[in-house]
Amino acid sequence: MSAPQLTVEDLYVRFPTSRGTVEAVNGVNFTLEKGQMLGIVGESGSGKSVTAKTLMNLLPRTAEVDGNIIFEGDDVRAIAKERRKHFWGVKMTMVFQDPMTSLNPVKRCGEQITETLRYHLGDDKATAKKKAIDLLEQVGVPEPSKRVDQYPHELSGGLRQRVVIAMALACEPSLLIADEPTTAVDVTVQKRLLDLLDGLRRDRGMSMILITHDLGVARGRCDDVAVMYGGRLVERAPTETLFADSRHPYTEALLRTIPRIDQPSHTRLEPIAGRPPELIDPDEECAFAPRCRYAQPDCLKAIPPVGGVRDQHEFACFHPANTDRGRQALDTNLAAGQTVTGLQIQADAGVN
Amino acid sequence: MAGTGHAPLRGDRNVLLTVQDLEVEFPVGRNEVVHAVSGISFDVAEGETLGIVGESGCGKSTVAKSIIRLNDIKSGSIDYRGNDLAHMEGEALRQIRPDLQMIFQDPISSLNPRRKIRDVISEGIAVWGNTKGSWSQERIEELMVAVGIDPKFGERRPHQFSGGQCQRIGIARALALDPKVLICDEPVSALDVSVQAQVLNILEDMKARYGLTLLFISHDLSVVKNVSDRIIVMYLGKVCEIGNADELYENPRHPYTRALLASIPEPAPTVDVSEGDIEGELPSPIHPPAGCRFNTRCQHATDICFTDEPVMQQVGDSDHYLACHHPVEVAVSVG
Amino acid sequence: MTTSVPSTTVVDDIADDETVDNAVKKRLGFGFWVAISWIGLVSLAALLAPWLPIADPNEIANGAPRDGILGDNFMGTDALGRDVFARTIWGARISLGVGFLGILLGIVVGGALGIAAGYFKGLVDQVISFVVFSLLSFPSLVLALLITASLSRSFLTVAMTLGIVGIAPISRLARATTIQFAEREFVQAARVIGAKSRRIIVKELLPNVLIPMGALTLLGMGISIVAEGSLAFLGLSVEGEAISWGKSIVDGSQTRDLNQNSHVAFVPIFAMFLTVMALNFAGDRIREYTDVKETAF
Repeated sequence: MSAPQLTVEDLYVRFPTSRGTVEAVNGVNFTLEKGQMLGIVGESGSGKSVTAKTLMNLLPRTAEVDGNIIFEGDDVRAIAKERRKHFWGVKMTMVFQDPMTSLNPVKRCGEQITETLRYHLGDDKATAKKKAIDLLEQVGVPEPSKRVDQYPHELSGGLRQRVVIAMALACEPSLLIADEPTTAVDVTVQKRLLDLLDGLRRDRGMSMILITHDLGVARGRCDDVAVMYGGRLVERAPTETLFADSRHPYTEALLRTIPRIDQPSHTRLEPIAGRPPELIDPDEECAFAPRCRYAQPDCLKAIPPVGGVRDQHEFACFHPANTDRGRQALDTNLAAGQTVTGLQIQADAGVN
Repeated sequence: MAGTGHAPLRGDRNVLLTVQDLEVEFPVGRNEVVHAVSGISFDVAEGETLGIVGESGCGKSTVAKSIIRLNDIKSGSIDYRGNDLAHMEGEALRQIRPDLQMIFQDPISSLNPRRKIRDVISEGIAVWGNTKGSWSQERIEELMVAVGIDPKFGERRPHQFSGGQCQRIGIARALALDPKVLICDEPVSALDVSVQAQVLNILEDMKARYGLTLLFISHDLSVVKNVSDRIIVMYLGKVCEIGNADELYENPRHPYTRALLASIPEPAPTVDVSEGDIEGELPSPIHPPAGCRFNTRCQHATDICFTDEPVMQQVGDSDHYLACHHPVEVAVSVG
Repeated sequence: MTTSVPSTTVVDDIADDETVDNAVKKRLGFGFWVAISWIGLVSLAALLAPWLPIADPNEIANGAPRDGILGDNFMGTDALGRDVFARTIWGARISLGVGFLGILLGIVVGGALGIAAGYFKGLVDQVISFVVFSLLSFPSLVLALLITASLSRSFLTVAMTLGIVGIAPISRLARATTIQFAEREFVQAARVIGAKSRRIIVKELLPNVLIPMGALTLLGMGISIVAEGSLAFLGLSVEGEAISWGKSIVDGSQTRDLNQNSHVAFVPIFAMFLTVMALNFAGDRIREYTDVKETAF
């Protein structure tokens, strides 16, 4: 079996602040195969965006990074100076959430693409422009030769995002990271953008990391999905396995809390009690324990290591859902009416 | 221009709020206007939750704000218990305000950063004193507990609370005046997924406890279905379809409704994914298309769709209406 | 079997009192307190001048004329033998007083105009903006000349001059801040609740607008004090025996004095410099400190 395209090993990212050190990424490990589409799902503060920015070398100077990032054999954090200029933006590129901040409002759309081509690939003006028009067509921008000379404000949100995607693809990257690429657009536009990314990925044999807070988005499009919570990667599995057979209580709680379109109206939702985890000087315990229905004393004594079957279904939990151990833990808690962290729980009369 | 007609108006005694032929425009540039809402009619029955769903630019937020007169109305009427809110001004309008309250989209921006939350919540009482009956400080405490905020935190300021908590404070503020109607403008869109359920459950609980009628605006189809009894689908200032929540998602007839349901990441089983492939861009609300406003993107459009604006018509005998020249027949079998 | 957390027992976690407040509290900093101490000291000295054990500032030939620093008189004497130190302290009364009163006038009038323009918009805004723009376009010096020529050059009229010149820029700031806040949802919420405009302005807008403007007070005082100096050079500051820093600087700026007895000019110059710098610094720190309170976690 060949080595994975991307290996992230023991990644830690910390930000010193006046209140203490924020452990934004707290020991993350994952790999990505060539051509694979990995979804990283998490809420705000989970560390997913920081992870992406670490891969792309976009962190502020105050960030302290530890760990290894190996991409196609290169140690990303130790790339030789001469190669740095043409690594990010060429081999690995990124698409962000808000197209207006990725696009320079006073530069024409075409220019923003040709700039990339001319800087990284050394293309001359004419070649670059021709390529830009071609790229715009590939990303589905209608009338590309007209749009190439327009300014961002003349385009709709969906079109702008396509221009951003064109910019990202200009130098034929091996890996595209998309950080919430469709969060700021309407649902019909979202579908078409995701279809586009899907198609482009397959055509080019490109790998993708799709970062999102929307489980549904991840489900429809990704090969594997990883869930992040409190700066840690708590579960990873092929998409359908994750949704049908989640092991980590957070994943399970997430799936039960979002309203689903196939539920009848007025279905009672199951909230996740408590609030997001503390990222500043966190304790040596499971980050989800205060909110977890399964929590047991050992959850408060150590950070659960990643277990399960490597490269198939990994999760970091001492009492995972859908296992005997987990069911036992849950029964214990139900009998007591609360978990070890004082979280009140009770059985529902009906079944979901 | 003609509106979508009065067919969906039920006109029975239980109706609390009736909007007829509402038109709202906003000036833009020198001589042009944005046609935000162009002649829509609907009603809300007492105790009902009416959801309004649509994408950006459809006018749903404008409708919400127009009902409580946060913006000017070009024409139309908004009847609330015999009062036409659209044509009331000054003190008369102000006197009715306590009955119709609102929850806003951005929980943090909707609270004054310099005021204590207890003061924020009791603002209504401070304004109206005890002139309107059942308001009192006890009610404030009761409300805070009901929304899950410990009253002892009343002396704190909004920046010390999370987004979800701020939204709950906003709910308490709105309920302090014992309103009949609560308008919720995208109340959970700015919140994390794990917190949304909390707020939605609280809204349900408050509705039951205080006998509220809800108007719930959102772009999220799953959320809207979950909270609503009845749903309106809007596009570019017009109403496309109205129906009972379960029925509408089970049996969507309007091409746009179907496109929406087909576009969500986990599409509704009642539509085919290909129906979400609507081409083109949203037309400009300054120059909306003539005839049916969806005609530039609809897979079923024919000549009449470009000349005649479709009028709301009932589907069978049910509480289901739509404005379309070519409603989709629902014999779609989906794999 | 499903389990659920009963929704009425929402587990609420607001961080404990102390930790949040301490964590978020920004420190004003050592420099701020130094600046405030200096301002306090000078203000106190100015207020208590009549009772301080210093020389009579107007007494001619208190000491030998043009005597240097640390001679018989603490900071020397001027051409007429008057005690420089005493004159500087008495000068503070007028300079600080004029600065304070001037900025107060500017803020009260300018603030009211700006808030009205920003909140009510429409015709009110157009009228007020027109007046303000006219004021802004009027050369301030000519304005000062007009006022002091038609009225006497007393403490009050000089303060009024400075105030009037300050109205225009302050009202622009107030208007911009008001507009920024008037569009926030909490103001809309107040309208929906049924609060009248006056209440909205007082309860919702003022606390938010006044705080940035309060920080402006200190900065504005600094500007006014320097402006008084300029007026003195044009002979437009307080007349007669009244002493201000500006006048003292002018007095000490005869060529002969500047060359040989520069202390006569430089003592008040230094006093003004330190005070204005302290005001600027403190005002800036307050502005930064009060800016912070908006984010939730």
